[in-house]
Amino acid sequence: KEKKYDRQLRLWGDHGQQALENARICMINVTATSTEILKNLILPGVGSFVIVDGGRISGEDVGNNFFLDPDAIGQSKSKVLLRHNFSLELNPDVKGDYTEEDVNQLLNKNPQFFYSFEVVIVSALDGATQRKLAELLWERKIPLVICYSYGFTGYLRIVVNEHCVVESHPDNAHADLRLLDPFPELIEYANSIDLEQMEKKEHSHVPYLIILYKYLQAWRKENDGQAPKNWKEKRQFKEKVLEGIRKNEHGVQEDEENFEEAAKQVNSALVPYKLPDSLRQMFEDPKCTDVSEESSNFWILANGLKQFVENNDKSLLPLRGSLPDMFSDSESYIKLQNIYKAKAKQDIDLFTSYLCNFGYVNGRLSDQEIKRFCRNAHFLQVVRGRSLSDEYKKISQSVLDGLISEEASDAVWYVMLRCVDLFHTNFSRYPGVIEEEIDIDVTRLKFHILQSISSYLAFPGLSEAISDDYVQETCRCGAAELHSVASYMGGVAAQEVIKLITSQYVPVTGVYIFNGLKSTSISLDV
Amino acid sequence: MIKLFSLKQQKKDEVAVGASSAGKSKPTAAQLRLTKDLNELQLPKTCKTEFPDPNNLLKFKLIISPDEGYYVGGVFTFSFTVGLSYPHEAPKVKCETKVYHPNIDLEGNVCLNILREDWKPVLTINSVIYGIQYLFLEPNPEDPLNKEAAEVLSTNRRQFAQNVVRSMRGGYSIADEVCRKMVQHLGTVLLFITGHY
Amino acid sequence: MEVDEVVGTKWTGRWKHLRKILERSSPFAHPDFEPSPDILEFMQESCRLLVIGAGGLGCELLKDLSLMGFRQIHVIDMDTIDLSNLNRQFLFRHSDIGKAKAEVAASFINKRVRGTKCIPHFCKIQDYDSSFYKQFHIIVCGLDSIVARRWMNGMLISLLEYDDDGNLDPSSIIPLVDGGTEGFKGNARVILPGMTACMDCTLDLYPPQVNFPMCTIAHTPRQPEHCIEYIKLFQWEKDKPFGDIPIDGDDPAHIKWICKAASSRADQYGIQGVNYRLTQGVIKRIIPAVASTNAVIAAVCANEVFKLATSCSIPLNNYIVFNDSNAVYTYTFEAERNATCVACSNKPRSLSFKPTTLLREVIDFFCQDSSLQMKSPCVTTNVEGSNRTLYMKNIPSLEAATRPNLAKSLQDLGIVDGQELIVADVTTPNSLLFKLKLSDDIT
Repeated sequence: KEKKYDRQLRLWGDHGQQALENARICMINVTATSTEILKNLILPGVGSFVIVDGGRISGEDVGNNFFLDPDAIGQSKSKVLLRHNFSLELNPDVKGDYTEEDVNQLLNKNPQFFYSFEVVIVSALDGATQRKLAELLWERKIPLVICYSYGFTGYLRIVVNEHCVVESHPDNAHADLRLLDPFPELIEYANSIDLEQMEKKEHSHVPYLIILYKYLQAWRKENDGQAPKNWKEKRQFKEKVLEGIRKNEHGVQEDEENFEEAAKQVNSALVPYKLPDSLRQMFEDPKCTDVSEESSNFWILANGLKQFVENNDKSLLPLRGSLPDMFSDSESYIKLQNIYKAKAKQDIDLFTSYLCNFGYVNGRLSDQEIKRFCRNAHFLQVVRGRSLSDEYKKISQSVLDGLISEEASDAVWYVMLRCVDLFHTNFSRYPGVIEEEIDIDVTRLKFHILQSISSYLAFPGLSEAISDDYVQETCRCGAAELHSVASYMGGVAAQEVIKLITSQYVPVTGVYIFNGLKSTSISLDV
Repeated sequence: MIKLFSLKQQKKDEVAVGASSAGKSKPTAAQLRLTKDLNELQLPKTCKTEFPDPNNLLKFKLIISPDEGYYVGGVFTFSFTVGLSYPHEAPKVKCETKVYHPNIDLEGNVCLNILREDWKPVLTINSVIYGIQYLFLEPNPEDPLNKEAAEVLSTNRRQFAQNVVRSMRGGYSIADEVCRKMVQHLGTVLLFITGHY
Repeated sequence: MEVDEVVGTKWTGRWKHLRKILERSSPFAHPDFEPSPDILEFMQESCRLLVIGAGGLGCELLKDLSLMGFRQIHVIDMDTIDLSNLNRQFLFRHSDIGKAKAEVAASFINKRVRGTKCIPHFCKIQDYDSSFYKQFHIIVCGLDSIVARRWMNGMLISLLEYDDDGNLDPSSIIPLVDGGTEGFKGNARVILPGMTACMDCTLDLYPPQVNFPMCTIAHTPRQPEHCIEYIKLFQWEKDKPFGDIPIDGDDPAHIKWICKAASSRADQYGIQGVNYRLTQGVIKRIIPAVASTNAVIAAVCANEVFKLATSCSIPLNNYIVFNDSNAVYTYTFEAERNATCVACSNKPRSLSFKPTTLLREVIDFFCQDSSLQMKSPCVTTNVEGSNRTLYMKNIPSLEAATRPNLAKSLQDLGIVDGQELIVADVTTPNSLLFKLKLSDDIT
């Protein structure tokens, strides 16, 4: 198993995999898009899934779906998909089930059905039912993922009330070096080093961290205890560091890579520490201030973190404890690394002492979880989305900005799809599906567009942005579901589901639109 | 907008499936680039190249005979192997002569930044050759491969120079070192064997 | 409900989705687009595609392309199936481990998507020559190797034909659609060889692999990776734990040995973190991979192939990057051609000589021709896939070895009609290509 999942374990680790394998998801309606989503969840090993679809397989369904067979035309979609293909073939570790019950009926008679899922995925559900489902899940705080393909356009909406990310895996995070706020062990070690007295070889292998520390203390002495603040001072500081390179008997500078590295690191290493705004906000959240036994692990830990931060005068977070590689001899580097590691351990212990008692009930918080939380303290994220009903109340600023931007924006497809929904509500079919009525559908769809943007006409350029070409194209595709677009969205949506399940990496919290005509895409807050 | 051809009118001939070697005459990008590099080679007078197979430009030898520095009088052969990924990846270089040098170990591995961490596609065969030549003019004790040699170079330059000379005379350093010790230990035995006892 | 009838590969509604796109006009279609049922027929019967690689991207590509209406699909891959492929290469099952990827993938596709005639090739791309690649309308690459990509790129550029005025014959262009992934990142691009930026034009978009400095590995290791590299570079050859063989990253015994050796080296230095997974990662230079990114990138590629083949929309111009580690991000841009690109900037110029012309005369021509005026050209060519050095003046040893060629005639040198000469000279930034026409009639 470890070998089978090797390539993904390198991304989300064994604990991420464990979360995935414990998850139970629900997929409503079998379309090419939803089938692809499910495929991309089964392959990496999601725990279990249930397919909800009472429909029968048509020739059209088989045409764009890799997992349906023409011999099964006329049979139950959910049953065929599960029995004949998915669970048996793709990944024997995953358990699957299906129900042919109608979603509306489930919503009315047995809403508890939906409560057991980590995430619910829906494709091509009619607007009214979708809103009803969304409301139910919103209250229960179960994320809903809406995803479908329409012609060359792919649509993804994640309806999530609150989602907490522990490991956001930022691409370009600064190392947590504490040069400006050194801790006693670092100070002690740095003070034990005398650059002047060193032999040449030693001198050229001192880790840049120590070099910067030394030059920083010297700078502070000359500048009323201040560190270099602006660009100009940092440049001067850099020059001083480079002047520290030893010279040979002819007065020519030697080759000292560590000093050059130190100069290069000045800008990133001397950024003054500030508690990230996102954390400041998080600490003010009632969920963080008033934790109870019902609180999630994340908020219990966040509460502990808040106390940790408030109990030191610089509002420091626990030290991350990892050291980037730097030019150095092995011994000095390892010594330094151990100093950081020990301090991080010390911080974790202190942090743990702030955790409220019920954090330990039945061992709900493991040491691993606490450690991970501390290591990622800088990057914690709480994302909050809007509900579907709020979205439908008015067009969001993000969409409007997109529409009136200079360049053609894919935000226009969002408007198109919303109007297609309206069209469907009124005519119980999608525009352009009947060959003979394409022209009249164009007129009808234009009317819906005018209707939906009527209150925004004051925005300059808005009506021009939604040109007839888009309407034409929307009717041309006649709700066709192209496998290429379905497969694209299947990949994107599946990864978002994995993010929601593992609490790793940051998910989309609004709408994501793919435009296959141009191979472009856009994220919108809605 | 790109004017696209109409694919529909295009008829493609069916070919027999299977490998054939006829007409495999496509020069690779690596080859085009290497030819250019070689044509522009400006060798210092201490260096020459040898191609064991004139038709295989991807494998050749560099022979350096330093005319100044510690290594005057020595002759050192390096093998170059240029891969198909050239110049995306650096050529592979090994020293075939055993040499007492802080940046070259006894297996012939060469520690030269542009051969590994600092390689860039704009660099050429010429740059590598100059880099290697420089190693003989200015051996660098700071980042050694042969730690012992580096140690000596940074503590006692005269001793280093002597070691270099001895190593070049006697073949290579370790053997030289070992021989010297053996002679000390086995001196009497040797004398006995050669009849001078 | 009415049951659709299935006859062989046909059933009611099968292509309904595609027909809407292909048989209706669109404001976003290519100007040449003429909606018609003939397009689908062309895709199914005539349009021949080649998919390179049957791995993560390849499996997705085969599925996508066959469901998008293509039937004449070749797939080429030299690998066999490994257990660690199964988390994303969904055409393979546990029982397929050890079999050829291309063959298993092709037979799966042919069985699942009726009417598809996927033909597998279990070999390297270099095993085939231009006559093989010429037969395809579009080539799609799902590879993890830059060498292979560049080779394919070079092959397609070599297939370009120019008329005597140097104008590109559009029918000789075979579009190359290329995708690549790494963890949550991916990219896809459309290359029209000879027209848009090629693989070599944008080589800097592919960062060279990270190499640690040799001296760090040898004497100042600080990271577990340094210790593993040490074993790989120094210890393996010295100890020869399994005899005189190179490291096989797929042999657990090899990895275990390296892991153990690296651990003890790490212990000496007090370095933590050497383990089996890391060791294998470093030795095999493993790139993390998930099903989702492969699905996304393959889908973009398949979508572009569909647009190129049908003109139903404008193809991507010409590069898209994708990253979904923080929300979902894409960036679409036009990579620009490099005017001095080694691979695509020089059109082979045609030159006519008699077969009896001496090589010396050809070189004189390069120096004297008013449009070339070369100083000391070196000339090489390619025979049977390997280089032939005809004359290299600059390098004494090669000059001596090739001097006799000067007095030989082209035909005695084995040069045939249509042969390409590679000529490098200080007067040009790149090597030039010349295509020789050999004929007795030239004066």
